[in-house]
Amino acid sequence: MAPAPASPLRSSAYTLAFSYVLLGLVTLVLFAAPLGYAWRVTIDDGRTEILQEDAQRFTEVFRQRGPDGLVAFLNERMSMQIAAERLLLLTDAAHTVLAGNLPAWPGDFPERQGVYNAPIKLNGRTVQARLVHVVLPGGYHLVVARDMAHFRPLEQRFWYSLLAAMCVLLLLGMLGGFLIRRAVLRRIDDLSRTATGIVQGDLSRRLPTTRGQDEFNTLSRTINGMLDQIEQLVHGVRNVSNAIAHDLRTPLAELRSRLEEVSVTRPPLAETYAEVDGAVADVDRVIGIFNALLRLAEIDTGARRSGFAEVNVAEVAAGAVEFYLPAAELKGVSLTFRGDQGMATILGDPVLLAQAVGNLIDNALKFTPEGGAITVEVGSGADGKVEMSVNDNGPGIPDEEKPRVTERFYRGDMGRGTPGVGLGLSLVSAVAKLHGGTFDLADNHPGLKARMRLA
Amino acid sequence: MKVLLVEDNERVSRFVVKGLREAGHTVEHVDNGRDGMFLATGEPFDVIVMDRMLPGDIDGLTIIETLRKMGTQTPVLILSALSSVDERIKGLRSGGDDYLTKPFAFGELLARLDALMRRSPTGAVPETSLAVGDLRMNLLSRKVTRGERVITLQNQEFKLLEYLMRHVDQVVTRTMLLEGVWGYHFDPQTNVVDVHISKLRQKIEGEGEPPLLRTVRNAGYMMTAGG
Repeated sequence: MAPAPASPLRSSAYTLAFSYVLLGLVTLVLFAAPLGYAWRVTIDDGRTEILQEDAQRFTEVFRQRGPDGLVAFLNERMSMQIAAERLLLLTDAAHTVLAGNLPAWPGDFPERQGVYNAPIKLNGRTVQARLVHVVLPGGYHLVVARDMAHFRPLEQRFWYSLLAAMCVLLLLGMLGGFLIRRAVLRRIDDLSRTATGIVQGDLSRRLPTTRGQDEFNTLSRTINGMLDQIEQLVHGVRNVSNAIAHDLRTPLAELRSRLEEVSVTRPPLAETYAEVDGAVADVDRVIGIFNALLRLAEIDTGARRSGFAEVNVAEVAAGAVEFYLPAAELKGVSLTFRGDQGMATILGDPVLLAQAVGNLIDNALKFTPEGGAITVEVGSGADGKVEMSVNDNGPGIPDEEKPRVTERFYRGDMGRGTPGVGLGLSLVSAVAKLHGGTFDLADNHPGLKARMRLA
Repeated sequence: MKVLLVEDNERVSRFVVKGLREAGHTVEHVDNGRDGMFLATGEPFDVIVMDRMLPGDIDGLTIIETLRKMGTQTPVLILSALSSVDERIKGLRSGGDDYLTKPFAFGELLARLDALMRRSPTGAVPETSLAVGDLRMNLLSRKVTRGERVITLQNQEFKLLEYLMRHVDQVVTRTMLLEGVWGYHFDPQTNVVDVHISKLRQKIEGEGEPPLLRTVRNAGYMMTAGG
């Protein structure tokens, strides 16, 4: 079953993107808040300073020219103002307005001189103002103020741009999240689809890979490698089941009919004995197949590594050549060994290596016609691995069959009708693998070159 | 010869007991580990055939280990369905002398039992020469003669002949030859052993000389002076 596609909002890419956006916003606020505060304090101080400077200048005028002089000065000053940037007020001790653009003494701040923030009634509305209150000699009050509303747009602009920045950040984050999610999701969907396909039985599916080295590619390649292995194993199992069905059925069917025939026809004793001998031979064939399978299973589990010792591959191969030589001579095939025993020592299982070499020579003998030549070579390859190859000049194996012959029970067209159970090369391949090596078949021009490379 | 068979499978037991009696041996059979332990430790036998997995709480290997701890040197052939090389090694380490996996051919069992029973006791003076009829082998000079005729043998042929002569009047199977002469634990697809034997036979049985190497049907070969 394919898993239900995840809701976009619950996708991990979105969660990640949202977390980053949130982090960005917090960073922005943490950055902007002190900035805003510092900016505000500085501006405020600046404004107060301007007001204080004004107040100072007016006080100076008062000192030099007296109250009337200041009134004249203020009136002149106000006539020069385009808008009412400055709010000015000069009153006597009883708060009677002498000059200024404020209609009346606001009265909402202390009598003492100083700097205050206070509401002022202006043209029928109340504005928040910053004001500097100076008490002049003779009890006159001078107020120099500024409507704070004048500055509000600036502050607002600051906060608005901060807000806008946050919105942009949020949008970019969402877009990023969406893009990341799409990219990640595509790869994960590929993975998920492939896995689903495989679960449903299509083992040939593979994840797409590109030339890049990113994590997804690495993961995909690893998974593909795993799938190759699984496919090979499953195919192996399938082939084994098919082959067991075929290869075991044949002797069993023969055995059954033999026994039934004896039971039904009751032939003379001598003939009965011959049939019984035939039945024993049938059973031996079945046992042979089972033994080969068990040996393979034993090698595949890698349990035999415990029996590893230093083995000279050249010695093993030379021994096998010597062992098979009479059989080769009898068949009219030459069998020779080439190699030096100097560099061919590996850590391995001598019994299995002997069996592997034996299987290869067996095979070569089976397929090389009279007058042919088989050479067994041992040498060290370029990569320091020990190479052991059995080369013949027989008919060889067609290229398209080469990869399949190491499969369990596989028998090429050539192999049909010859003795053997089709497990020989599987065993060789398994032995090579157990020794951390490889087994391959190549063209010997003409003939077959069966090569084991052992670490 | 007195043989103890410890085996729980009825059919296999009947078959082995019958075959061994026909071969002229006295056979005692028990079908569980407890009786096996009792008989093996209590009575003298020439050879013991021991199944590994037995009903009851005593298995074959335990009996063998007990025997060896008691100092009993009776040769033991282990008979088991556990066929892996590691199991074989385990069996031989516990004190078994030979290991045969089921299913087996009776000829193989008989040949191996013969080899075990006639094995020269350990510690005997090492032989320097072997002789079967007028065939002589000097193990030191590696010289082989039949009557007055000198036979030149290759290294492998010498080892094969030595093995056969050491098992004179006994059936040796192809598997025994593969293991004993070449150290191989697999069955070659081709009849290599038979080819080796026929080559050897040509060398040791010249024209007019009585045969020494008999082929035993369904089993193997036997070296015997009587032809």
